[in-house]
Amino acid sequence: MATTAASAFPDARIPYGTWGSSYFPAWQSSPLAEVNIGQFAGESMARIMSVRKVPVQHLDYLIIGSTVPWHWKFWNATLVAGCLGKRLPGFHMEQACATGLQAVVLAAAQVQGGSSDAVGVLTFDRTSDSPVGVFPERRAYRRTEVISDVWDNFGFDPSTGGSMLASAGNVARKHRIERREIDELTAYRYEQYFKGKESGFLERVAVPLDLLNVQGKPLGTIGEDTGVKRIHAGALRAMRELDSCVTSGTQTHAADGMATLLVTTAGKAKELSRRPEIAITLIAKAEVRADASCMPEAPGMAVQKLLARTGLSMADMAVVKDHNPFAVNDAVFSKTLGYDWRKMNNNGSPLVWGHPQGPTLTRVVIEALEEAVDLGGGYVLVFGCAAGDVGMAAIFKVQ
Amino acid sequence: MASVTTPSTATGDPRSAQGNSANGGAVRAMRPGTLGALGLGTVLDIFSKGRLPVRADELVDQVFGPREARGAMVISGACGVVGAGKVMQFASRLLPYGVPVIALDLPGANDGVQQQFDGLVKSFGRDTANAIMNNVIRLNYDGTSLPKELERYRPKLLLEAIPEKLELKKAHYALFRNAFPGIHIWSVTSGFPSAQLGVDIAHPSFPHQINKVFEIVEARPTPHTQLLWALGLVPMKVGDHWSFVLDVFFCGLLQATLQFCRHTNTPYWKADKYIRKLIGPNPFRAHDVIGAKGANYLTWSCLHHLGEAYGPLFTPEEALTARMRSGQAWYPPDHFRPLVNWSLDAEQEQALEAIVEGALLQMTSIVLHEQRADLPTMNAIGELCAQFSNGILARARRMGPERIAHQVGAYHRLFPAAAGTTWYPDTFMNMAEGAWTQLYVNAEHNGKAGVITISRESYNDDVDAELNRAIDWLLGQGIHRVILTGDFHLATQLVGADTLAFHPALSDEREGERISLAWSRTARRLHHDFRASVGFIHGKRCMGGMLELMMHCHQLVAVEDTLLAMPEVTIPVLPGMEGCHWPFRKADAEGRKKLLRLVLEGRPVKAADASGWLVDHAGTLENAVRTAWQVMEQDAAALKPRPFAEGPVETPDAAEAGLAPVDGPLKEARAAIARCVAEACNAPVDLALTVQARHSAAFMTGSLCRKGRLGSDYDKMMKH
Ligand SMILES: NC(=O)c1ccc[n+]([C@@H]2O[C@H](COP(=O)([O-])OP(=O)(O)OC[C@H]3O[C@@H](n4cnc5c(N)ncnc54)[C@H](O)[C@@H]3O)[C@@H](O)[C@H]2O)c1
Repeated sequence: MATTAASAFPDARIPYGTWGSSYFPAWQSSPLAEVNIGQFAGESMARIMSVRKVPVQHLDYLIIGSTVPWHWKFWNATLVAGCLGKRLPGFHMEQACATGLQAVVLAAAQVQGGSSDAVGVLTFDRTSDSPVGVFPERRAYRRTEVISDVWDNFGFDPSTGGSMLASAGNVARKHRIERREIDELTAYRYEQYFKGKESGFLERVAVPLDLLNVQGKPLGTIGEDTGVKRIHAGALRAMRELDSCVTSGTQTHAADGMATLLVTTAGKAKELSRRPEIAITLIAKAEVRADASCMPEAPGMAVQKLLARTGLSMADMAVVKDHNPFAVNDAVFSKTLGYDWRKMNNNGSPLVWGHPQGPTLTRVVIEALEEAVDLGGGYVLVFGCAAGDVGMAAIFKVQ
Repeated sequence: MASVTTPSTATGDPRSAQGNSANGGAVRAMRPGTLGALGLGTVLDIFSKGRLPVRADELVDQVFGPREARGAMVISGACGVVGAGKVMQFASRLLPYGVPVIALDLPGANDGVQQQFDGLVKSFGRDTANAIMNNVIRLNYDGTSLPKELERYRPKLLLEAIPEKLELKKAHYALFRNAFPGIHIWSVTSGFPSAQLGVDIAHPSFPHQINKVFEIVEARPTPHTQLLWALGLVPMKVGDHWSFVLDVFFCGLLQATLQFCRHTNTPYWKADKYIRKLIGPNPFRAHDVIGAKGANYLTWSCLHHLGEAYGPLFTPEEALTARMRSGQAWYPPDHFRPLVNWSLDAEQEQALEAIVEGALLQMTSIVLHEQRADLPTMNAIGELCAQFSNGILARARRMGPERIAHQVGAYHRLFPAAAGTTWYPDTFMNMAEGAWTQLYVNAEHNGKAGVITISRESYNDDVDAELNRAIDWLLGQGIHRVILTGDFHLATQLVGADTLAFHPALSDEREGERISLAWSRTARRLHHDFRASVGFIHGKRCMGGMLELMMHCHQLVAVEDTLLAMPEVTIPVLPGMEGCHWPFRKADAEGRKKLLRLVLEGRPVKAADASGWLVDHAGTLENAVRTAWQVMEQDAAALKPRPFAEGPVETPDAAEAGLAPVDGPLKEARAAIARCVAEACNAPVDLALTVQARHSAAFMTGSLCRKGRLGSDYDKMMKH
């Protein structure tokens, strides 16, 4: 008999099919580079919910997540809710690349705590044209620091002084990962993505969105993960190494986009879902912090902790999917948990489709849940790393 | 079809008393005319008596007293949205009669009157604008006691335009009645019935400085209402019910649209586009333009009271209630101009139609059941005051009872609460009879001569069908002499073809040809089917297709200062109702040059200046009315028709006609019209029909037309 685990959020449900994301165009490659991403996210959520036949009037709370500052961010969820078409209360949260998963957990807690019946989770980011500005920094020798939000932070962990990329190289060396495996793994991830795309799977997750300019004229359609091209092991092998095992091909790329799902009471889920017979619950989550500059090994550690706490094993998982900014992440995970990396990340993963930060893990969750429904249900493991050498993991159950 | 005798009643009851024409014969009509409800008789009376039923100067004396002791009109709430507009409208119209307008408001009110001045200058020029402003006397008061000074002006008529609060209004009337016992009071209220307020209603329609329509509630016709008519305004008699007629539809449409938005998440700005295409107006934009704070309150208030009186069909949507409280506009602010576009799938499109049509028609059934107005009036209110592209009754008539029941049913499935409100499907059961068949065109006769009246400013298939029925009816009644005219009431001008009717023809040449042929054939009946026909032109202007229609009468008689024009070239389209050859067949060589200039330049000409080549006679209104009637009476002195050439006629070329050369699209459009004129005139009249139709249809599918006003209006409306 398969193991079962009780949910930490037994009253919260994710209604099947009331979700969706935008496509994630690579940074600077689409009209998304020019918009207020908070406004875009709000309007897109209304649109996606309309396509899914969910009136947003059912929502009573909104949790938004993003990591790159946007104009009028001070007004957080209320601003986005205004663009969505309902004056909802709510808040903004962020946890770097874990934002998209943590927001789901917070929404489940909001419902479980009895505070809300239907919570919108809406994560988004625009890495393109990120804000630039100055910070008065009286202790710095220049007194004032000029900042460029996205790239400054990618390149510099203030608590270690290292970059994210350096942490990947560091972990590859520590776990004696070979370049050959990394190239092979990456090529396989691309195959998985294009298989998912060709099968029509992607169309069930991502909704094309037509943008308008200020005159109300068409500005273009966000209808593809632009920038993603087929790549084979040979081409990957030929790439110059930036650090151990890390080339421009074996890491993700910055992107723009949004993703949304709902967390509700069981009753509301039945009312809103187009397949009310499907019940999706969040079982539990875990987080760890790895040693300094060891970010890619943190997710595996979080999964180990989560399995220990829930009493489940990797064998119990129907779907396994992660946020893998570096191919090294998957190789290390595979090695520490003894789990074949070929068995995970079907239909695509952030290594391939890109990384707009806030919404990345929300899209991973949506894809993982869709896949689990295709498989007839089961446990779904979603995990990923985040700035500060953090790893986060969560298990969902699809019945 | 059954006929009725007039004068008519407001409710459209066909069994009304028998009317008498000037020569003693009973007037028979297809349906009661709308003037009857105001005590103004029939249009046939106007012709047979040779004058209008009432005169403004006499009514002014009656309402405001004789010139030596003239009283004043008071408008309270004069600085508000309604008050300020009406101050301007009445000050300008009463100026010639020496009736001052007292603009009364609270001391702290925004200066709404002053803000109107620029508009006045634009419409009247600085001198007249100054004179109008001089006719406005502005008084402040504290809201509890009237200013002493007021007495000096002898107030005779109060138009109350203060906030929509029942008790406030009632206290206001008491104040005036105490001070000025005989004063006649009108409330502009959007929703409170006269029975609640204790005064008559003159409910105006936005934009207040220019919109001429007033919904009138009064027990019997009053000189005050007749004065509105005599001043060129459009009073319409309606029943004394919550929100009368206009605001049931205006507010009801917002309500239905909000339900659609709630159902599908469609943002308001986009829903406006769908409603524009489906019904005509932009409900959300309209509220923002009127001023969201005030308009949201008024719409909420109307719906709230309707909801209490009739049920949840009207209970204001939550989003409206919230915006009523906050005064927030419906469109996003400029810094949030819409970013993500919207489209509807088939299911949502059906829902849109079901919700909007279902709700509106359920509301219509209530208005019909209560006989809130005669049918043509009820239908016109949507078109004249709420931008409906087709009146709600014309829409219902096209749909038929089955489709209506289907849509209301579909609406109730989506919004079950609305099923808890009464709905009277039976009100749509007799749409093939009586006034239902003649919403826009009426016919009256006295046994010898008839009058066909058109009450829609623009021509479309509905008008065409009704006109044919009117002709058939007169012929069936043995009437062979006819005057075709505007209705002296709902249509204050005849602007031409309804360009909405041309939209399908932009991509379908056969449709263009069908319209042109069908409408021209109807027009030709005025020439062929009667022994004598007179096109009677009055009002502000007569243009395009309406002028072409009139031209088909044996004679054209016009009021001298009415403007005539063939503006097709400026759109551009080609005149499609035989304007390119018909009038040429009656004109001499000089006249044909003028006609060519008329169609190629598109500029208006005063009827007085078109005598002899376009119109047969132009004179003052009374003179023109009498001249037309002489033809009906076969008076020996009656105007004789100009000869009509059935064979080919020569046309001047553009240079001969003295046209100034132009460039660009106008040049191309002119050339196309000139070719049509040459070919159609060169053909015998029988063949000219198809020549003209083909030219007109082919032009509409071409790129020049597509890039012009018609094409871009179409694109704006259809493309999302
Ligand atoms: N806004 C519209 O388009 C519209 C259309 C038709 C009818 N109406 C009706 O017109 C009336 C006024 O509406 P509005 O939109 O013009 O409102 P508004 O708020 O623009 O104007 C009301 C005016 O009344 C003044 N006022 C308030 N109390 C007063 C008092 N006791 N005595 C004299 N003046 C007083 C205010 O200072 C203000 O200038 C309402 O009954 C409304 O239902 C409005």
